[in-house]
Amino acid sequence: MTNRDPADFDTSLEGRDPRDGDWGLCRSSYEKDSCGFGLIASLDDHASHWVLQTAISSLNRLTHRGAIAADGKTGDGCGLLIKQPTAFLRAVAKESGLTLAPLFAAGIVFLNRDTAKAGRARRVLTEQLQHEKLKVAGFRMMPLDPGACGSEALKTLPVIEQVFVNAGGDLDEATFNRKLYLARRRTEKSLEGDDPIFYIPSLSASTIVYKGMVMPQFLAQFYPDLKDPRLEASVVVFHQRFSTNTMPQWRLAHPYRYLAHNGEINTVQGNRSWAVARGPLFRSPVLPDLSDILPVVSLTGSDSQSLDNMLELLLVGGLDPMHAMRLLVPPAWQSVDMIDPDLKAFYEYYATHMEPWDGPAGIVLTDGRYAVCTLDRNGLRPARWVITQNRHITIASEAGVWDYLPEEVVKKGKLGPGEMLALDLQTSELMDTKRVDDLLKSRHPYKAWLKKGVRYLQTDLIDPRLAAEPFDRDTLAVFQKMYNVSAEERDDIIRVLAEDESEAVGSMGDDTPMPVLSRKVRSLYDYFRQQFAQVTNPPIDSLREGIVMSLQTQIGVEANIFVPAQAHAEQIVLSSPVLSQRKLRQIVALADSGVPNEFIDLQYDEQVDLKTSLTKICDQAEAAVRNGTIVLLLSDRYLVKGKVPVHALLATGAVHHRLVKTGLRCKCNILVETGTARDAHHFACLIGYGATAVYPYLAYQTLFDLMRKGALKMEAAMRQELGRSYRRGIRKGLFKIMSKMGISTIASYRSAQLFEIVGLGNEVVNLCFEGSDSRIQGADFKDLKIDADYLAQRAWDRSENVEQGGLLKYMHNGEYHMYNPDVIATLQSAVMTGDYQQYREFAALVNERPVSCIRDLLKLKSQAAAVPIDEVEPISAILKRFDSAGMSLGALSPEAHEALAIAMNRLGARSNSGEGGEDPVRYGTEKNSKIKQVASGRFGVTPEYLINAEVLQIKIAQGAKPGEGGQLPGHKVNDMIARLRFARPGVGLISPPPHHDIYSIEDLAQLIFDLKQVNPKALVSVKLVAEPGVGTVAAGVAKAYADLITISGYDGGTGASPLSSIKYAGTPWELGLAETHQTLRANELRHRVRLQTDGGLKTGLDVIKAALIGAESFGFGTAPMVALGCKYLRICHLNNCATGVATQHNVLRSKYFIGLPDMVINYFKFVAQECREIMASLGVRSLTELIGRTELLEILPGETSKQRKLDLSPVLANSALLSSKPQYCIDPHNEPYDKGVLAEKMLGDMQEAIAAKLGGQFSYAVHNYNRSIGARISGEIAKHWGNAGMSAAPLVVSLKGSVGQSFGVWNAGGLHLHLEGEANDYVGKGMAGGKIVLKPHTDSSFTARDTIIMGNTCLYGATGGELYAAGTTGERFAVRNSGALAVVEGAGDHCCEYMTGGVVCVLGRTGVNFGAGFTGGFAYVLDMERDFVDRYNHDLIDIHRVSPEGMGTHVQHLRGLIEQHVAATDSVWGARLLNDFRSYIGRFWVVKPKAAEINSLLENLRRAA
Amino acid sequence: MADNHLQFLDIPRKDPDKRAVEVRSKEFREIYSQYSAEQAGQQAGRCIACGNPFCEWKCPVHNYIPNWLNLVKDGKLFEAAELSHQTNSLPEMCGRICPQDRLCEGACTLNDGIGAVSIGAIEKYITDEAFKQGWKPDMSNVVRTLKRVAVVGAGPAGLACADVLVRNGVTPVVFDRYSKIGGLLTFGIPPFKLEKEVVEKRREIMEGMGVEFRLSVDVGRDVGFDELLREFDAVFLGMGTYTYVKGGFAGEDLPGVHEALPYLISNINRELRIENEASRFVDMRGKRVVVLGGGDTGMDCNRTAVRQGASSVTCTYRRDEDNMPGSRRDYKNSKEEGVTFLFNKQPIEIVGTDRVQGVKMVETRLGPPGPRGRRIPEVVPGTEETIDADAVIIAFGFLPSPADWFAQQQIALHANGRVRVSAAPQQRFQTTNPKVFAGGDMVRGSDLVVTAVFEGREAAQGILRHLGVRARAQA
Repeated sequence: MTNRDPADFDTSLEGRDPRDGDWGLCRSSYEKDSCGFGLIASLDDHASHWVLQTAISSLNRLTHRGAIAADGKTGDGCGLLIKQPTAFLRAVAKESGLTLAPLFAAGIVFLNRDTAKAGRARRVLTEQLQHEKLKVAGFRMMPLDPGACGSEALKTLPVIEQVFVNAGGDLDEATFNRKLYLARRRTEKSLEGDDPIFYIPSLSASTIVYKGMVMPQFLAQFYPDLKDPRLEASVVVFHQRFSTNTMPQWRLAHPYRYLAHNGEINTVQGNRSWAVARGPLFRSPVLPDLSDILPVVSLTGSDSQSLDNMLELLLVGGLDPMHAMRLLVPPAWQSVDMIDPDLKAFYEYYATHMEPWDGPAGIVLTDGRYAVCTLDRNGLRPARWVITQNRHITIASEAGVWDYLPEEVVKKGKLGPGEMLALDLQTSELMDTKRVDDLLKSRHPYKAWLKKGVRYLQTDLIDPRLAAEPFDRDTLAVFQKMYNVSAEERDDIIRVLAEDESEAVGSMGDDTPMPVLSRKVRSLYDYFRQQFAQVTNPPIDSLREGIVMSLQTQIGVEANIFVPAQAHAEQIVLSSPVLSQRKLRQIVALADSGVPNEFIDLQYDEQVDLKTSLTKICDQAEAAVRNGTIVLLLSDRYLVKGKVPVHALLATGAVHHRLVKTGLRCKCNILVETGTARDAHHFACLIGYGATAVYPYLAYQTLFDLMRKGALKMEAAMRQELGRSYRRGIRKGLFKIMSKMGISTIASYRSAQLFEIVGLGNEVVNLCFEGSDSRIQGADFKDLKIDADYLAQRAWDRSENVEQGGLLKYMHNGEYHMYNPDVIATLQSAVMTGDYQQYREFAALVNERPVSCIRDLLKLKSQAAAVPIDEVEPISAILKRFDSAGMSLGALSPEAHEALAIAMNRLGARSNSGEGGEDPVRYGTEKNSKIKQVASGRFGVTPEYLINAEVLQIKIAQGAKPGEGGQLPGHKVNDMIARLRFARPGVGLISPPPHHDIYSIEDLAQLIFDLKQVNPKALVSVKLVAEPGVGTVAAGVAKAYADLITISGYDGGTGASPLSSIKYAGTPWELGLAETHQTLRANELRHRVRLQTDGGLKTGLDVIKAALIGAESFGFGTAPMVALGCKYLRICHLNNCATGVATQHNVLRSKYFIGLPDMVINYFKFVAQECREIMASLGVRSLTELIGRTELLEILPGETSKQRKLDLSPVLANSALLSSKPQYCIDPHNEPYDKGVLAEKMLGDMQEAIAAKLGGQFSYAVHNYNRSIGARISGEIAKHWGNAGMSAAPLVVSLKGSVGQSFGVWNAGGLHLHLEGEANDYVGKGMAGGKIVLKPHTDSSFTARDTIIMGNTCLYGATGGELYAAGTTGERFAVRNSGALAVVEGAGDHCCEYMTGGVVCVLGRTGVNFGAGFTGGFAYVLDMERDFVDRYNHDLIDIHRVSPEGMGTHVQHLRGLIEQHVAATDSVWGARLLNDFRSYIGRFWVVKPKAAEINSLLENLRRAA
Repeated sequence: MADNHLQFLDIPRKDPDKRAVEVRSKEFREIYSQYSAEQAGQQAGRCIACGNPFCEWKCPVHNYIPNWLNLVKDGKLFEAAELSHQTNSLPEMCGRICPQDRLCEGACTLNDGIGAVSIGAIEKYITDEAFKQGWKPDMSNVVRTLKRVAVVGAGPAGLACADVLVRNGVTPVVFDRYSKIGGLLTFGIPPFKLEKEVVEKRREIMEGMGVEFRLSVDVGRDVGFDELLREFDAVFLGMGTYTYVKGGFAGEDLPGVHEALPYLISNINRELRIENEASRFVDMRGKRVVVLGGGDTGMDCNRTAVRQGASSVTCTYRRDEDNMPGSRRDYKNSKEEGVTFLFNKQPIEIVGTDRVQGVKMVETRLGPPGPRGRRIPEVVPGTEETIDADAVIIAFGFLPSPADWFAQQQIALHANGRVRVSAAPQQRFQTTNPKVFAGGDMVRGSDLVVTAVFEGREAAQGILRHLGVRARAQA
C-alpha cells in the first residue's frame, strides 16, 4: 500500500465502522486476492453465444479457486471481459430507444444508490465525454436479478447502468477509445473521495465487462443479458476471485478493463511509486497532455487494478498489448546466458524506463483485437491451453474446464515462465513467445542504440584499492563510534561477509527490545522491518532459482517510454548497486563527460535540528536537479568536529520524496556514500527508499583495518579481493531480502518501501518515509537528534572506546536480553527443583523487566472483585491451550524432542513435530507428537505421518526468519535424521523459501483440502508471522477452511538462520495478533477458527495478556527448551550444543543432556498456576472469559522519551459495533464448501477391501473439480496398514477425464491410480507408495510426447511409489522428491529441484534450471537437441553420458524403466525408444549429485528399497 | 583454519601445571606455572562463545571473557591484553586470586561435567605474557586535563580507581601508609598465590601511565585530609577493612593466639625483607597450628603455616564443607599440602594457662536459614572436645575500620561502620561529602579483590562525571 493519507494512521480509528476495513490495526489496503482465470477465443474471430456460455460454465468449474463469504452465497467476485458484441448492443440500445452511431462505445457504470450522487456521476461523465466532443447516446438501466446475490453482496449492490456513447465524425476506433479514456479518467478524478461506489468497469468501443460480487454459477442469472442468445462474442476473458477479505467490494471483481490476473503483483508498491514519479514523463504523440489525469495508476485498491491502469495507459499511448505486457512483465533476461542479443537489447532498453511488475502473475487480456495470455518470469501460476476442433482456444488455470471430447482436442499445452501466447483476431495468427519476441525486437535498432549509449563501468578483476586512503586507527575509531559500529558487528557481521561471502548464520531468536523500546542508541535501520511474502504470494529461492534474479542498476535520466530513441539509451549500467571505491570515482569523474553531479554533505551544525537539516538537504538536491544535475551524491564521509551527520536513510527518503513531489525524480539518481551501511539490510533500506547505489566506505575501512591487523582468516591472495567478497556477501543478502517479498530485480525493489516501521512517529515518517506503515508511532526528530548527538560526542571523545556490542549476544551494559543469564538460571533451577517459589523468582524477573516488549507497556486492569482461587478453572483446563512450537527432530536431539513430546502428552497439551518427520515407532505411544508439521521441505511427510496427528500445521513462515526456508547443516544429518527425512547422511538439507504448492491463497485452500482429505479428523492449522496485513491474510486462511491460525512474533527461535533474518524481519506478535483478531471479528470469521500466538512467551502473565489481545491458544518454543537444559547458547547451527539439546552429536547427547519430561511438566504447570492466580485477581474463573477483552488492559505511559511517544491504542481497539461478534472459536471444524463427493463415494466402494486388505478393481469418471482424488483412500489405507499399506493386494482404480488438482496426493502403498485423460497441478504430491499412471485418451489425436499431461509441482515431497506419464509435465516436476520413481516424456523448468532421493527419468526435453539444489537420487534425461548442458543447474550436479561401455548396469536399468513405462502407459514414444534403443542410448545423460559416485547410484537405490 | 566447534570435547580442560606438593609446600613461590602460547590457545579455543556468556555475567567486573578468549585462540595477545584492561585494572591479579570456581568458571556452560574453560589461568597468561613481550596500556589517545585526584589507599580499589582516572586524563596521586603498593594484595595475600613481583610490575606500569604514588604516608597522620581536599579536585577513599572479627570466647588473649592478618603480614614482611622488627615475625615452625575459620584468609594462613614448617595444621569451620566460603581451589591445594579440615566445629574456648594449649570445640549442625539466606549452625549439646594446639590463628574476617576524622569531614557511615555512598548513576560512589568518593571493602564490607576493583572503577566514573570530564550517562 502506498500514499494513503497519513492522517489515517494518526490515532485509533474508534468510532468508525470496523467494516470499512480501516480500524484498529486493520487497513483495507492490506487486502490481497488471487483466483482462477481463463480465456476462450475463436481463432477466426467468429462470435458466438457458445463462447460466452462455455466461458461461464468454465468459470463455474473454477469455483473451488474462489472463496465464499459467511452468508454462503456471496462470492469474492467474478466476471467476464468480452469483445464488443456489437449487434447485441445495437439491438438492446434500440429496445431502449437509443440511437447509435456506426462507431459506438458501450460502458457499464456502477452508481451510488443515493440518487443525487448517481445523478451527479452521470452528469459529470456526460460532461467529460462532451468535453472530448463525444455524444452520450443514453443510459440503459441494466437488467439485473439481485436474487443471484448473497446477503453480503446485496448490502453494497450498486445501481448498474449501461452507457452508450457515439463517436462523432470520422473518429477511428483507437482515437475514440483514447478520448473515452481521458473522459473516464477525468470523471473519476472529479468524483474521487466523494463517491466511493462510483466505478466504471469498462467504457470502450472494443470490449465490455460484466462482473459482480456473485458466485460464477449465479453470474448469468445476475446479468440476464448474458443468457440472451443474441449476445455473441469471439473472445471472452473470465475470472473468479478469492479475496483474503470478505468486505464486499463490487469494483474489485475482475476482469479489469483489459486484463484478468491470477496471482499477485509483488512489486506493486515500487511500481506505484515509480508510476507517480514518472507521471511528468508520460507524453505520447497521440496523448499529448496527461497532467490533469495524474496519477495514471491507482494507488490503492488491488495490485491487479494498478497493473490494469498501467497497461491501459501504455495501450492508449500507442503500444500494442504484446509490447506493453513484455515491458511490464518481462521474462528473466539479465541472468540468462543463452538469450538472443537483439532480444536482450530490447529488454535492456526498456528496463531503463520501466521496472518489472513482477508476479506471481498469470495474466489474460484482450483489447478486442488481440487475446493474450502471459506468465511472469517465475511461472508460478498455472496456465493450460487447449485448441479444439471447433477452432477455439481455451486457456485457463486448470485443464478440463469444459467437457471437450478427447477426439476434439487438436493440441494442448501450457505456458511456462515468462512465456506469452497471443492471438491476433484480425489475422487469425496464433503467436508463441518466440514469434512475439521476434516481432518486438526488430521494431527498432535497440542493440545499436545501447551500444552507442550505454557505458558499462569498468570492472577490473581485482580492485585492490579497498580503501585508497586508509583511515589511521584513530580516525577509524571516530567513524566507528559515530556510526555505532561495535566490535561485535565488526567481527560477527562485517568480517563474516568478507570471509564467507555470505551473511553470518546464527540461531535462537531475537530477544532484544525493538529499538523504540530500547534504552540504547540503536541504528535507525533497526526500526525498519522487512516485509515478506506469506500465503498470498510466495517468496523466491534466490539461490536455487537465481536465473530470475538481477541487481542490474542504471544511472542516467529516464525518458519517455512512448518515443523510442537512441538518446534514451544513454545510461551507465552497473551490475549491482553496491559500489566499490573505484566505481564511485568513475561515476563522479563522468561529470566531465555529461553526467553532472552534486555533492551533498549530510552533516549539519550540532545546533541545527534534524528537520531543518533535512529540509536544507532536500532544497539543495532539488535545486541541483533543476539545474541539470543527474547524480546526487549524499555523503557523510567527511566528518567535521562540531557537526553531526544526518542519518543517510533519513536523507535518502526525504530527498526521494521531495523529488517525486516536485516531478524531478526521474531526472536524477541518488547515490549514497555512507558509514551507516554495513549489512545487507542497511543497503536494502537505502535502496528501498530511493537510493540508486550505495558506497559503504566505513565497511571497507573496517575490513581494511581487520586485514591490516591480520584478523582475517583467509588466504593471502583472497585478501586482495576483500571488497569484492564483501560485496558478494551483500549482494547475496540483497537477493535474499528481495526474494523474501518475491521480488526478482532490484529495479522493482527500489523505492518500493517494503518495510514496516516500528517505532517512528508521523513527523519522521511523513517527511522521510511517506506511505510506509508505522502503526504505533514512536521516536520523533528530537529523539533521533539526541541519539545522533550522543554518538557524535562519544565519537570525538578519544578516551571512549569503540563499543563492544551486545546486540547479538548478551553483554554486560549492552542491549537488554529477555533470555539473559538470570532468566535462564532461575527458570532452570525452578523446573529442576519443582519449587514454585523459585518459579516466582523467575516470573518476577520476566514480568518486571525493563520495558522490552509491547506487552510490557500494557498493564492488567481489574474490573471486578477478585475471586477465590479455587473457583478458577483447574490447571488441566489451561494446559489444554498450550502447544510446544514446531522444533524439528534434527534441530533438536531425539532425546530432547521425545522428552518434549512425552511432557506435552502427559500434560494433556500438544507437542509439535516440527518439519523433520517423526520416527514411526513413536506413533501411538506417548512419544507421538500430536501436532505434525507440514513445511516447505516436506521432510518425512507421508500419509502415515499425517494420519497420526490431531493437528496438521502448515508452516507458512517462522518468526525467526519469515519469508525464508529452513536449513539443516550437513553435520546434523546423521543416519537417523537422514532416514526420517528420506535424505543422505552428511548432506545439508534445504527447505525452500516457498511451499512449492502455495503460491497464492487458493493454493493454500487446496493444500488444506488435501490434508483434510487424507485425515478428515485432524484440525488444520496455518502458522503465520506478524506483519502489517497478517490479519487479512488470516481472514483468507479462515476462508480457505483452516481450523487454527497461529500468529508468531518476530522473536521466535530457529535452529539456523542468517542473523539478518533473525534481526530484521517480522513484527511483535502483539501487533499481529491484535490485527488478526480485529480483522477476523470484523469479517465474521472469528467463530470459525482458533487463534494461537507464539513468540517469546515465558510466564502466566504473557499468556493472560495474549488472551486479552485475542488468542485462545498459546505456543511455547524456547521456554520449554530451556526447561530441558538449553542455556540459550545460540550455537544450535554448529551441532556442538553443550547441553545436548540441539545437537546430534552422540557424546553430547548421551553424556550431557539432562532434560527430563518432568522439567517441562513443572514449567507448564507453573505457568498455568500463575495464570490461575492472575485470573483470580481479575475476578474471572476461566480463560475463555478473558479472550479479546482488551478493556482489561491499560496502556502504561512508558519509561523513556521514545516509549512515551508510542500510541498503542490501535492494539487495544475495540468497537461497539462488534460487541455482538464472537471473541473466540465456536465451530468445532471449519468445513470446506467442497464435500469431496466423489472421494467419499470411492471410499464407500473400497472400504471393505481396505479393511480386509483384499485389493480390487474400480473405475470412475473424473472432472477438474474432483480434487485430491486418492487422498481419502490413502489416508484410510495408512490408518489401517501404514505407508506400505496394501502393496501386496493393491486397489487398482481406473479413471477417465480431466482430473482436478492434487491427483494421487499422499498416495499410500497399494493404491494404483490409472488415469486416461489429463491431470492438473500437484499430481503425486507427498506420494509414499503405490503407483500413478497417466496416459492420454486413446481417441486423442495429438502427439503425446509433445503434450502436457500434468501440471506444476508434481511429486513434490514424494517419498516413494512410482509414476508413469505418457506426456510432459509442468514446472518443478519432482521438486523435493526423496524416493519416488518417475518416468515422464518431458518436463518444464526447475525439474528435480531440491531432490534428495528417488529416480527421475525424462524421455524428452526439460526446461531450464534442471536439478537446482539436487543432493540425492539420480535422473536420466534424454537430450535429443543436445542442449541439456545449458539447461541444468551446475551448482551441485554433474552429468555423464550413458554408454554401453562401463555403464552396463545403468543401460539395463534405464531400459527396464522404459519397459515399465511402456507397459503402464502404452507410450508410443517409449515403444519407439525401445525399438531402436541402441540409437538413442547415447543421447541419454545420467544426472547425479557431484558428491555421489556414479557406480554407487544403483547400489544406493537397492539399499533404499 | 576452520574452527573446531568441538574443541571443548576433543581437548580436556587443563590447568597450568602445579609444582609438586613436596616442593611447593616448602617455599613461598607461586605454585602454578604459566601456559605456553600453544596451551593457552588450545584452552581458550575450548570456549564455545555462548549466546549467553554466563562467565561474563557472573564476573563482578564483567570481563569480556569470550572475546579475549577468542583473541588468545587466534594468538592476538596484545589485543587480548588491551581488551582485558578495558574492564579490569588488575587482570593479572584477578587471574591469580579470584575464586573463579565460584565466579566465571563456576558459571561456565561447560562446567556441567565437561570442564569449564580455564578462564583464570588464561586471564593471568594474557597480561603476564603481554607485559613480558613489552606491551603497555596505550595512553596515546588520552587527553590530559589539569584535574588531580587524591586516592587514599593503594589496594585494589584505589589502584583501579587510579587506573580509570589516569586513562581519562585525570592525574591520580595515590597515598598509602605502607611502603609498597597493593594493600592486601601485597601484605595480605601470600606470595605462593601472588608473587610480589607481579604487584611491582603493576606499579611500574601504572607509574608509566602517569600515576603518582606517595607511599608510607598515612593520611590523617602524616598528611591532613583537609590538605588533600585543598590540593586536589576530589578524593577517593579505598582504605579497606582492618578490624578483626573476634571470637568472643575465653582465652583469645593468650599468647600463641594470633590474628590472621598480622600473622600474614609479618610473614610477607620477612619474605620481602622489609621487616622493621624481627620480633613481630610469627614463626610456626614445628608447631601444631589450629586455624579457626574457613574463608580465603583462613586458607592463606593454613598454607603459610605449612610453608613455615608447622608440624601440623588443622583448619576448623562451623558449617559443613559445602558451605565453606573459601575458594575451592585453595581448599583443594591446602588439603594437598597437608592441612586437616574439621567441619561443623565451633570453638568455644581457647584453653591454656600461660599460653595456648588447645581449642575447645563443640559440634554443630545446620539449622534454618538466617536473614541473609545462609543456614545458621546450631550447637549439638554434649559434644565438647579439645584439640591440642601450640598456636591458634583466628581468621573470622574483617569489619570496617572507619577513620576517626570521617565525621569531621562529613563522611557519613552506616550503622555497621561502612561508608555511605550514592547509587545514582551520575554520582556513583560519592560519599556524603560531595568531593569525596569511596569504594571497596570500606563501602561494601570485606569482600573479594575483584569487587573492590569494580567499585574503584565505578567510583572513578563517578569522579569523572563530578569533575565534568565525562558528561554522559545514557538513560
